[in-house]
Amino acid sequence: MRRTVVLMAVMLLTASLVPMASAQEEGVILRIGLTQDWETLNPTSGFAVSEYEIWNIHYATLTNKAADDFSVTPGLAESWVVSDDGLTVTYTLREGLAWSDGEPLTAEDIAWNINTGRDQGWDNMYSTVQNLDAVAIDDRTVEVTSAVPDPKLPTLDVYLVPRHIWEPIATDYDTATQYDASDFVGSGPFVVTEFNKGQSVVMEANPEFYGWEGDPPYDGIVFQLFENPDAMVAALQQGQLDAIHGFPAGSAGALSADPDIAVVAGQQGGFDEIAVNGGAVEGQPHPALLDLEVRRAIGFAMDREAVIEDLWFGLASPLETMSPSADPKWLPEIPEENRFTYDPERANQILDDAGYLDTDGDGVREMPDGTNPIVLRHAVNTDGDLAGPIGDLFAGWMEDIGIGVTLESYDQDALFGVIVDGTYDTFWWGWVPFVDPDPMLSYFTEAELGNYNDANWFDPQFDALYLEQKEELDPDRRVEIVHEMLTILHDAAVYFPFYLGPDLQAYRTDTFEGWVRQPAGVGPVMFSNSSPSYVLLTPVDGAGAGAGGVNWVLIGGVAAAVVVVGLLIAVRRRGTAEERE
Amino acid sequence: MTSIAMQRRKATAGRVWRQFRSSRQGMIGLSVLAVFVIVALAAPLLADIRELNPVFARAQGNPQWASPDQFGPLGTDYIRRSVWAQFVWGSRVSLFVGLAATVLTIFIGSVVGIVSGFIGGKTDGALMRLTEWFLVIPFLPLAIVLASILGRSVWNIIFVIGITSWPSTARLVRAQVLTVKQRLFVDRARSLGAGGGHIVGHHILPNVSGLILANATLAVPISILTETSLSFLGLGDPGAASWGKTLEEAFVNGAMVRNAWWYFLPAGLGILAVVLAFTLIGRTLEEIANPRLSGR
Repeated sequence: MRRTVVLMAVMLLTASLVPMASAQEEGVILRIGLTQDWETLNPTSGFAVSEYEIWNIHYATLTNKAADDFSVTPGLAESWVVSDDGLTVTYTLREGLAWSDGEPLTAEDIAWNINTGRDQGWDNMYSTVQNLDAVAIDDRTVEVTSAVPDPKLPTLDVYLVPRHIWEPIATDYDTATQYDASDFVGSGPFVVTEFNKGQSVVMEANPEFYGWEGDPPYDGIVFQLFENPDAMVAALQQGQLDAIHGFPAGSAGALSADPDIAVVAGQQGGFDEIAVNGGAVEGQPHPALLDLEVRRAIGFAMDREAVIEDLWFGLASPLETMSPSADPKWLPEIPEENRFTYDPERANQILDDAGYLDTDGDGVREMPDGTNPIVLRHAVNTDGDLAGPIGDLFAGWMEDIGIGVTLESYDQDALFGVIVDGTYDTFWWGWVPFVDPDPMLSYFTEAELGNYNDANWFDPQFDALYLEQKEELDPDRRVEIVHEMLTILHDAAVYFPFYLGPDLQAYRTDTFEGWVRQPAGVGPVMFSNSSPSYVLLTPVDGAGAGAGGVNWVLIGGVAAAVVVVGLLIAVRRRGTAEERE
Repeated sequence: MTSIAMQRRKATAGRVWRQFRSSRQGMIGLSVLAVFVIVALAAPLLADIRELNPVFARAQGNPQWASPDQFGPLGTDYIRRSVWAQFVWGSRVSLFVGLAATVLTIFIGSVVGIVSGFIGGKTDGALMRLTEWFLVIPFLPLAIVLASILGRSVWNIIFVIGITSWPSTARLVRAQVLTVKQRLFVDRARSLGAGGGHIVGHHILPNVSGLILANATLAVPISILTETSLSFLGLGDPGAASWGKTLEEAFVNGAMVRNAWWYFLPAGLGILAVVLAFTLIGRTLEEIANPRLSGR
């Protein structure tokens, strides 16, 4: 026992020293705190939001996304021409492009990335490039042809890796996706110089980046990982950080009260949901869940407004259907009478009418034939922020309509396995979609059963519409199709989104200025789809490199930790002396 | 013969109780523990179990993060649940897990220790190597790994604590068995034709039981602390309100930053008091069983 306590005290000590170390970087540094670790910086295979943020900065893309509305804007390509049939796009690159190591960045690099990503099936590129073929016409011209009509073109926003380094390494899917990306050669405004997993990512300004007019306005960015979000909030308040991402909703009030801190609740389509096992493949759910009426009753029994009010302090907004995109235009309007508005009496009525009665008087309903009490296995994701309270709430809601709940805890990896196996009845998790709705929609098709289809449900009509929207070039018609798909999913009552959850971010207004929200007005200022803020930020005059002052709280904390460690060691010595006698 | 033994044992119990009563620290520990046992047993009378249900709490109109003067007697938490109800019902889980895990620990430890010490030879060697193997495994990581593999339920936590904390008991009991085994009365019994089972049951066990009891009372606080640590790390039973779970939720939801002392203080002080009570009782029993310790 004692040893672990000593260990914890030592961990506490080192943890509190880390922010000090990073503050010793030279020049004007933008310091950002976050709570999600990086697994890998390899852009072909990673999937965490924290990793996307690094790639957004480290790699320039062929086309860029406007900060306001995600519309396509020039990136490495300064212009492009779309052929009459819409299948071929010819991009012209800017003049004098180069990688951060000085090597020229040419059309060959672009074509190699698209063709290799397609052939080797790089996870992060494949859905974009699977039907594309690229040919380098000359150093500055690349021609991209799609085998099928593709509504996403001319947007081409995959991360492009340096061919001169990757070509010998990426010989197949395994070598490409398992490479540790330690070359740190990029093309974006800042490039990685240090990656300390579990601690920080250090980036410095890339003078080769095409977007700088004159010298970069500041010298680098440090992303600092925090285990404890409260410590991160405190670091921002004390001026050790310039911005933070993902702070707890409960801290919003205290942060807003600081005149030098701006708080952003950024919407980019992210949502959390309770999913019901639709029973499409083996690992069957409770038989009652196969009945649409039971699933509808569950929908009416959940007080989603209470979650927005109590757990998000009103910062999240109501959501009726699964949100497939960062752009709200894809969300259909669900008629008032079809919405699952909190109404436990109606839920009870539906269950009574459908014949699910509590025949033995124990407070839990049975199947219509009087057997098999309805007790649901609700999976609690122990890595999820709100999974704990939602589990308690869900048990309470179900109790009110005579459905029992057993809570089963899994960490994120285990939960993914449970979902694939189908050995659950309900769970709570969330998604952050891309700009194009296609990937999120694909997850609810028959082809994704046993993989990403975490509703374990499919509908042939939904699948047919999915294929239709995938090749629909008329933007308005495509929106209509997507609306129809989402309404089908809503009415099937297998996937209950609770709210559009904001990314809670805060930044100091006295160190850097020029933060932009993506999309305009509602989005986050960083960790967004293409994270445009970093190029636009400038240091506030006279602010220098942030607070260099002595941090008495930190010193006090370290001193306390040292005393505690000393005491523990002393106690331990005495302990062993006693045992020895 | 049996009745004489019975009488003698009764007399010993009476002597132990007299000595215990005269010990101040022992009586303090006992009375603190008694209070918590009463709280745990009387939980349904002290707090409505529905107060642990956040849906019920919201329907009742409980405020969020209310301090004790806004919502008696101990305020509310981040999802409007009464902290008093969590404290009262949490005492049940914490005490139950602490005691049940100790019973398991002591049972495994005593069996291994007695078998190993009494039989000796190769059995002893094998069992002691096993014990050492468990001793050198870092305790908390092993408990964490086991808890995550087995899933999170109260019974699994008891099992995890039991399976990871028996080695020190086994070594202590073995050492005591080795000395008792050498005594004359064991030789005497053996020369009168007593079998191994008889000797263990009638001569060895009575002589190590004092040590086992003292060791058990000292193992309870460790079990309670382990349950708290595991729950605090999010490995507890998600459906059971324990003090560790209260502390975890208070920490995760920023009770420290909000200065919501009423949220974490009751559970923290509860653990402190129960652990202290068991330690005081255990020390007292240890002193009675081994008078050389007194005065230290």
